[in-house]
Amino acid sequence: MKSVVQLKDEVVAPADGYRDATVDSGARRVITVAVAGNPNAGKSTLINAIAGSRLHVGNWPGVTVEKKEASFEHQGTRIRLVDLPGTYSLSPYTQEEIIARDYLVQERPDLILNVVDSTNLERNLYLTVQILELGIPVVMALNMSDEAQEKGYRLDVKGIEEMLGVVAVPTAATRKSGLDQLLEAVVATAAAPKLRRPKKLNYGYDIETAAELLARELALESAPLLERFPERWLVLKIMERDEHVLRQVNFGDEALLERALHHLRSEHGDDVESLMAEARYGLASGLTREVLRKPELKKTELTEKIDRVVLNRFLGIPIFLGAMWLMFKLTFDLSKPFGDWINDMTGGPFKHWASILLGAIGAPDWTVSLATEGVISGVGFVLVFVPVIFLMMFFITFLEGSGYMARAAFVMDRAMHAIGLHGKSFIPMLLGFGCNVPGIYATRTLENPRDKALTALLIPLMSCGARLPVYVVFTGAFFPRSSGTVIWSLYVMGIALAIVMGLIFKKTLFRGEAPMFIMELPPYRMPSLHSLCVHTWEKGKHFLIKAGTYIFAVSVLVWFLLNLPWGVENRKDSYLGQAGQVMAPALAPLGFGTWQAASSLITGVIAKEIVVGTMGEIYAPKKEEAKQEFKPFGEEVKEVAVSFGKACRESVSNVVSTFGITSLDTQEKEERSALKGMVLKTFTPLTAYAFMAFVLLYMPCMVVAFAMRQEFNGWKWFGVAFAYQTVLAWGMACLIYQGGTLLGLGG
Amino acid sequence: MTNLSMLKPGDRALISNIGTKGALRRRLMDMGVLVGEEIRVEKVAPLGDPIDIKIKSYHLSLRKTEAEEIGVEVVQ
Repeated sequence: MKSVVQLKDEVVAPADGYRDATVDSGARRVITVAVAGNPNAGKSTLINAIAGSRLHVGNWPGVTVEKKEASFEHQGTRIRLVDLPGTYSLSPYTQEEIIARDYLVQERPDLILNVVDSTNLERNLYLTVQILELGIPVVMALNMSDEAQEKGYRLDVKGIEEMLGVVAVPTAATRKSGLDQLLEAVVATAAAPKLRRPKKLNYGYDIETAAELLARELALESAPLLERFPERWLVLKIMERDEHVLRQVNFGDEALLERALHHLRSEHGDDVESLMAEARYGLASGLTREVLRKPELKKTELTEKIDRVVLNRFLGIPIFLGAMWLMFKLTFDLSKPFGDWINDMTGGPFKHWASILLGAIGAPDWTVSLATEGVISGVGFVLVFVPVIFLMMFFITFLEGSGYMARAAFVMDRAMHAIGLHGKSFIPMLLGFGCNVPGIYATRTLENPRDKALTALLIPLMSCGARLPVYVVFTGAFFPRSSGTVIWSLYVMGIALAIVMGLIFKKTLFRGEAPMFIMELPPYRMPSLHSLCVHTWEKGKHFLIKAGTYIFAVSVLVWFLLNLPWGVENRKDSYLGQAGQVMAPALAPLGFGTWQAASSLITGVIAKEIVVGTMGEIYAPKKEEAKQEFKPFGEEVKEVAVSFGKACRESVSNVVSTFGITSLDTQEKEERSALKGMVLKTFTPLTAYAFMAFVLLYMPCMVVAFAMRQEFNGWKWFGVAFAYQTVLAWGMACLIYQGGTLLGLGG
Repeated sequence: MTNLSMLKPGDRALISNIGTKGALRRRLMDMGVLVGEEIRVEKVAPLGDPIDIKIKSYHLSLRKTEAEEIGVEVVQ
């Protein structure tokens, strides 16, 4: 039989352009280490603890699954860590599993770092058994060893090493213990791969006999295949009729397979795939029995005690809603003062400084306007989202890391499943009420691409905080007595339409088998602060770089639309006004077919609250640029710092105070009263309501668009959202206006 | 013969067969749901679905439609 190590050397050299790119210029060897393990085995924490800020987060090519990589030096050896998606198995059925196995088979890492949860050894070893089939040297991190110790588990590490042919190192990633030993083992194993060959485990007489037979036949008839793939892995996969592999290797020799499997089938039936799963689990169970001693007296575990309350029939839902309320409040109330601070600073001192600076070097007026209104506003606009996205990511990561996310999904699944969603869809949708953008990013907690896409499609129907200022102006003008009820009705309209659209999508775009809900309820754990921060920082950085640049570009573009052709006096003649005039007739059946309404809706694409700002400018232009009182530079700098301190205090007091969303009260500003007067002249209560419904439903703002593009690796799902929301907005507004007119509410 | 969806919290049972095919079957087996394995129903979600079972000393939740595919024999 061909040695796997030999095989490897042949394969790596030509096929692996991917790795060439990372060989450093010093021509020192780079060890590529693939990190594999079950979800909830602490893989992320371990990688964060090892690599920390050196982590680079991206996507696996062509899919939306996150890919983390880090490259660093350890005792003179360069190590490249590639984090594989967390999986329970290497079956061909989920995206994550296919990514993991394709990487292992095609890229041939030098070593696999298998992260194993020591408190849940048997199920974790099931994956290990499959990893060993690849013949690549394995270093095993027996993670959560601190927890196992607390439980009184005794692990025979030597026994594991001997039985599997791996190097095993107990680790506790949350406490950063065992990591040095782990890296040493990685370096040592990679230096002498031939000494550390994983054992070939025995899957039982009948399976092994068939496997040998097939291997022999393959060697005769399809020898090139054995050069390209690890022999044992390939043979077992073909026996399992693993569709993904059969397609990859283009194997169609049914007669050959039939001959090899004949005896096995006659003894055990046709389902070889299940037989293999049983054999692998059999090995995992046997091994666990050999190496793990559990204490005889078992106390009730903390997780079960907590679950008795948290998943209780009567308390489960109230606790869940309480936790959600708390998270929502913390996310938005904590971040709001900082967002406002960024807004005030970029709108005030920074603009001022830029205009002074440009004025001093004699730059023309239009560049000053571009720099302040276009560039600085654009940057400010991106930065305003940073606090909320960072905080949301922090809490989501905490929920996931602590184990509560799975419980939330468990509690809510019945309700969400009714409209074709997953229990985990609830949290992204809830966040959508604060701001759709973090909602879209939070869909990454959904593993299944179908659930994820459907959830993201419905999030824009959750009425976000940016739509509130529009409601406030219009209800203030037309429904001063019952503004609360009218606003509430819009929120309800969004939810009701989300349910309807969910049902429609389930029957159309997402027809077919509903994805399964087979989910581990992991033990509760306290995530390490370090890991939380690393993760949050990665996400925040990602937003800034990936979405931020586009958002900034669009902001600048809109500045041009508003101010070109150069020197326009009347907004009506600007490109924006002209676009509004073109669009207006299409809005006529909805009752607000004016160029002013159309133009403000166009700018609302940047962010929906801008609708109000644009209306203010169009309907009630500032008579004369009020001479702003600028303070001396030093004082302004001081003000930046002082107001930051104020933001910190406000952030804290927001959380302490028991009021709900604080933004409602602060929206009522005096400057709006002029706008209200104008709005009263051009709208009626009926058209105002139709307009608000339109603002609620029409296309999501560009930040959502870029977030969707980023999360789904392309414009497809945003395209769908854009299309259905445009139709929905137009249809609903038309229904409200025409229906209302028929009922005689038009006056 | 009963199936897993019919059991009550606290019931213990041995898995006697898995009725489904393809991805769902493989996923169940990958999670340790194998013929002969002992399970205990721990909880039913507040809204009546999904359920939480203990298998191979960890907790697994699945919807009742999925549990219907798992034939069991109750252990007294």
